[in-house]
Amino acid sequence: MDLETALSRPVQLDRRKEILRGALLRKRAELRKSWKHFISTEGLESLGSLAPEVESFLSGQGSIHDWRLAATFTWINCDASFSDCLRSIALAGKIEYRPSDTNPARLSPLDLNKLSSDERLKTLCARYRCPLNIGAASESDVAEELLRQLMVPDRAKLEAGEEFDVDIVLLKLNLVGIRAMITRDLRFLDALNYFYELPHRSLARMRASPRYVALWLCIYAQLLSVPDW
Amino acid sequence: MRVAVLAGSIKGGMRIAKEIENLPGIDVFVVACNVGMRSPLLRWSRELLLALKSFNWWTLTTKGCRYAQQGRLIILHRPLDDPASIERLRSLQCDVGLHAANVIYRDPTISAFRFGILNAHIGILPKYRGRCVAEWSVLQGDPTGVTVFFIDSGIDTGARTVLREFIPSNQWNRVRPFKNMLFGCDARLYRKALEALMQPGVRFEGNDILKGKRYYVMSKMFIHTVNKILRDRANLG
Repeated sequence: MDLETALSRPVQLDRRKEILRGALLRKRAELRKSWKHFISTEGLESLGSLAPEVESFLSGQGSIHDWRLAATFTWINCDASFSDCLRSIALAGKIEYRPSDTNPARLSPLDLNKLSSDERLKTLCARYRCPLNIGAASESDVAEELLRQLMVPDRAKLEAGEEFDVDIVLLKLNLVGIRAMITRDLRFLDALNYFYELPHRSLARMRASPRYVALWLCIYAQLLSVPDW
Repeated sequence: MRVAVLAGSIKGGMRIAKEIENLPGIDVFVVACNVGMRSPLLRWSRELLLALKSFNWWTLTTKGCRYAQQGRLIILHRPLDDPASIERLRSLQCDVGLHAANVIYRDPTISAFRFGILNAHIGILPKYRGRCVAEWSVLQGDPTGVTVFFIDSGIDTGARTVLREFIPSNQWNRVRPFKNMLFGCDARLYRKALEALMQPGVRFEGNDILKGKRYYVMSKMFIHTVNKILRDRANLG
């Protein structure tokens, strides 16, 4: 074996990360063109001041914000509302936050599942007022449960064309996407891939929540641009 | 040792039975489950079609008849977790069940077997539980293979691992045929697992679920990526 082969072969042997990165960037380019299939013109107009930001974020090169630092804190407190925090995270903006050494009482997946859909939505929005907390180590059980729900019962309902609760599914997609940003866990990214790939007729009902859809797509756009999975 | 193959079809059950029936000290039964609760017409048409599609359809048919005559072919008409089916399984007094049906097992079914039910999972446990684990292993650059373990009612969480065989994906340029090959290793690996179980003082390896994750069905985009990784490796190899 000559020296050049000996040196280059280990590098060539595993181009896995390079191939993955290429695939994600191609999907990002596709999203740049196709995101309008997910939000109607009226839906976009209903977003008010958020609309131009979303449009420019999804159609442009898009920036990403590295939130991995959030995982090093036990918990994060912030003054902004859940809605404002989610908007800032999705659009790769900034959040004023204060790290805390204490976290709220544990939320067990079993308890979460006992709640009605409305209560679940309220509980998740209250607990993750700063949505970065879904990336905390203590929230692993809840995050795994949200991923399971998306990829098992929710997916089955959408694929079968059955009724589903649009807001809670979109909230889960947003939270799972944020978890992926923080933990770099490919399973969480792939949940977003999977839902993005569903036939448009399955996703048509999601247009009823244009804000959540827009923010989900912005989070997805950031994830596709992450260089180091 | 009395062993029952829990199969989704007679053909599927016979394939595994053929591999293990010559093991000394093994009595084999084939339990054909009615997966999806098909109507009798649909079920038997499917069985017939599967038999005819088989290269050795005549051998399969004669073997099936022999098993039926000896009372070693059991056809379940009700779901596997129905009390009547469980009673029938209990009456066989089997030590081990071999999973070859596309069903979820509940505790009463599992406990109808003295040691439990073995599953040949096409991923390396404890790291890769759940679905599409061969694809996920390739995507994340981890070893691929099959783990034979005693199931519990969770998703690949059974605590007793009998054996683990690493089977590299290097020579494959698409994931579907690679997975089919892994699935096809079940009979051989069940045989190996039964041989291990018959050894005196058999010891199991644990399956610490904290050391792994549950995986789910993979998106088309990632499956394309996995195929690309495999092609790339095969071309380099």
